[in-house]
Amino acid sequence: MIGDAQSRRRVRLLMWKEFLQLRRDPLLIRLLFVMPILQLVLFGYVVAADVKNLSTAVVDLDATSTSRALEAHFTASDYFNVTEHPSEDGVQQLMDTSRIAIAIVIPAGTQAALDRGETAPIGVVVDGSDSQVASVGSGYAAQVIARFNAERMANSGVVVAAPGIDARVRVMFNPTLAAVNTMIPGLVAAIVMISIMAVMGQAVVKERERGTLEQMFVTPIKPVEYLIGKVTPYALLATAQLLLVAGVGVFWFKVPFAGQISVVAAGLGLFMLTSIGLGLLISLVSHTRQQAQQLMMLLLLPSFVLSGFIFPIDSMPAAIQPLSWFIPLTWAIEILRGAFIKGSGFEALSTQFWVLGVFAVVIFGAAIAATRRRLAE
Amino acid sequence: MSADGRHEGLAGTPPNPDAALSVRGLTKRFGSFTAVDGIDFDVPRGQIFGFLGPNGSGKTTTIRMLTGTSGPDAGQALVLGEDVINHPERVKQRFGYMSQKFALFEDMTVEENLRFYAGVYDLSPDRFARQREYVLTMADLHGRENELTANLSVGWRQRLALGTATIHEPELLFLDEPTGGVDPVARRQFWDLLYDLAGRGVTLFVTTHYMDEASHCTQLAFIYRGGLIAEGSPHDIRRDAITEQVIEVSVGDVDAALDWLEREPGVEEAYLSGARLHAVIDPAAAGAGTSGAGDPAAVVADYTGRLQRAGFADATLVTVEPTLEDVFVNLVARAQQP
Ligand SMILES: Nc1ncnc2c1ncn2[C@@H]1O[C@H](COP(=O)(O)OP(=O)(O)O)[C@@H](O)[C@H]1O
Ligand SMILES: [Mg+2]
Repeated sequence: MIGDAQSRRRVRLLMWKEFLQLRRDPLLIRLLFVMPILQLVLFGYVVAADVKNLSTAVVDLDATSTSRALEAHFTASDYFNVTEHPSEDGVQQLMDTSRIAIAIVIPAGTQAALDRGETAPIGVVVDGSDSQVASVGSGYAAQVIARFNAERMANSGVVVAAPGIDARVRVMFNPTLAAVNTMIPGLVAAIVMISIMAVMGQAVVKERERGTLEQMFVTPIKPVEYLIGKVTPYALLATAQLLLVAGVGVFWFKVPFAGQISVVAAGLGLFMLTSIGLGLLISLVSHTRQQAQQLMMLLLLPSFVLSGFIFPIDSMPAAIQPLSWFIPLTWAIEILRGAFIKGSGFEALSTQFWVLGVFAVVIFGAAIAATRRRLAE
Repeated sequence: MSADGRHEGLAGTPPNPDAALSVRGLTKRFGSFTAVDGIDFDVPRGQIFGFLGPNGSGKTTTIRMLTGTSGPDAGQALVLGEDVINHPERVKQRFGYMSQKFALFEDMTVEENLRFYAGVYDLSPDRFARQREYVLTMADLHGRENELTANLSVGWRQRLALGTATIHEPELLFLDEPTGGVDPVARRQFWDLLYDLAGRGVTLFVTTHYMDEASHCTQLAFIYRGGLIAEGSPHDIRRDAITEQVIEVSVGDVDAALDWLEREPGVEEAYLSGARLHAVIDPAAAGAGTSGAGDPAAVVADYTGRLQRAGFADATLVTVEPTLEDVFVNLVARAQQP
């Protein structure tokens, strides 16, 4: 299809043309590079979301009335949603795959220690990859335990010197809980969506609106050649933005990178295909740039709000949470956060990769099929 | 050819591979609306084929089907002998297209646009150098190669678009309303360029809604509401399409005379033509009751008398050869009758 020399020459020509046009739009270029940095700085220092209904695992190694009463306190709280009862070894796995955000580990002998009037340590393990969840979540856990201690003392009627249960908080991943560490993977995914879906989609609509698209399609240029010539420059642009953001993140904000490049690249690749597909589909159904812009906003806003990019998904109302499953950005962010902060590999992220893969195949495939027929019409 | 100037003979025949363009039953629908309704025509090679019709009649839609950018709902089309509907790629190298609105890249320079389209058509460096020189000379753009096309004025843009559309020396050129929005002097200059191309053997397919441009063409087709209502050379169309007599009326009070004519028995159509009025007279009805019915001179005398009696003492009448505009008004009026 794209094998022969003429085809390759035409693709190179189209890319040359695209870069010329991009270079003549200095405002756009400045915007594309300044915006993510600005966002990084803003979000890097601002944390203000309400964290609720964290998916919680309780590991009850004590199995006594006291340990059950402690679990009941967590269950009764709005902030925690006890969904799992794994073994002690199972916690890591659940956290790797993002099925829980926090785990409460009650060691054997807790009731006995308390009965002896000793301090009983219990473990609170939080997932630090979303810094808001981690810092706010461990704070709430401390409150729940304090309330449990207070009730226990009131009920026993004796004045005990020992403070009762003592929470030992351990943060897995991102132990310094820097918000910027959480922000960077999300920002990287958002950049892909903006540069490729929104900016490239706009460029296609502009070309149709001006008639230059029709003019090109009466020449020997084939739709595939046009698409490759169009997408490549914007994919390169997005890559340059990513490197800039990653550079600022690593060297200025000292964000550690724990993961494998291959996982990040695979996740970004799938998400780029999805974004290209969305951009093309929008440009096909819009007749004017204004229409396209409105449609883009209609996609971008819920994506940013519901994907966990800005607000943690766990703290959204339960009725709304399933919506986030239908947003590709949700899965891209989970993959990137997993890979950046937890160093998760393909195995731990296999669900996320499957879902994002299905999105990529369906959306990109639909866009290519529709484009081949209708791009110039 | 039938009385209304239409090639009824073509419908149902196979398309002609020797013609530059051969179209049979070509149809395009947008939802329930039929924009082009089963048209048939042939354009022999070397012609300047004028595709005429008012705005919204289906000219652009037809061109887009013939250039392979829009798929028809029914019908066949051969372009330079190739099936453009199913295999547009076989012939794209051999035709050029200048669209209705300026479609070069406005944020690129003259030189960059030429270089881009030369590359798209895979011109060798030598041939590009030669064609670039030709286009710059033809469009009078020497010295402005590095200007953004957004900064060119309309006339220049039009000539640059023509040059770009012909940079690969096509055998056939589609021009969709190439003179839209251009002043009369620039229109004349542009037609000179088109004659020049035709002189070098290029077949031209030109759409326009300026009836006065029809006489520049060697062959014409009139499209109205998606259907062809006449086809042939300008001479044939004038001769065949109007069997009625056309009278030109010079009168002081044009508006009142027009009102009066529109209500007068025997007048099929009356309309302004320049500063004068044209009236299409049905000879049978007009002559009724007078001697010499059907004789042009008698009809003129008859209507001169009627107008003067109606108070238009200064009216002078003369029989004229129908212009293409007369033909078109007449054909449209006929097409509108149920
Ligand atoms: N993409 C489209 N969707 C719907 N209607 C269309 C489309 N393109 C053209 N039309 C309609 O088809 C008719 C013919 O349009 P067009 O071929 O552009 O006319 P012309 O070029 O003769 O002015 C018009 O009524 C126009 O509104
Ligand atoms: Mg048109």
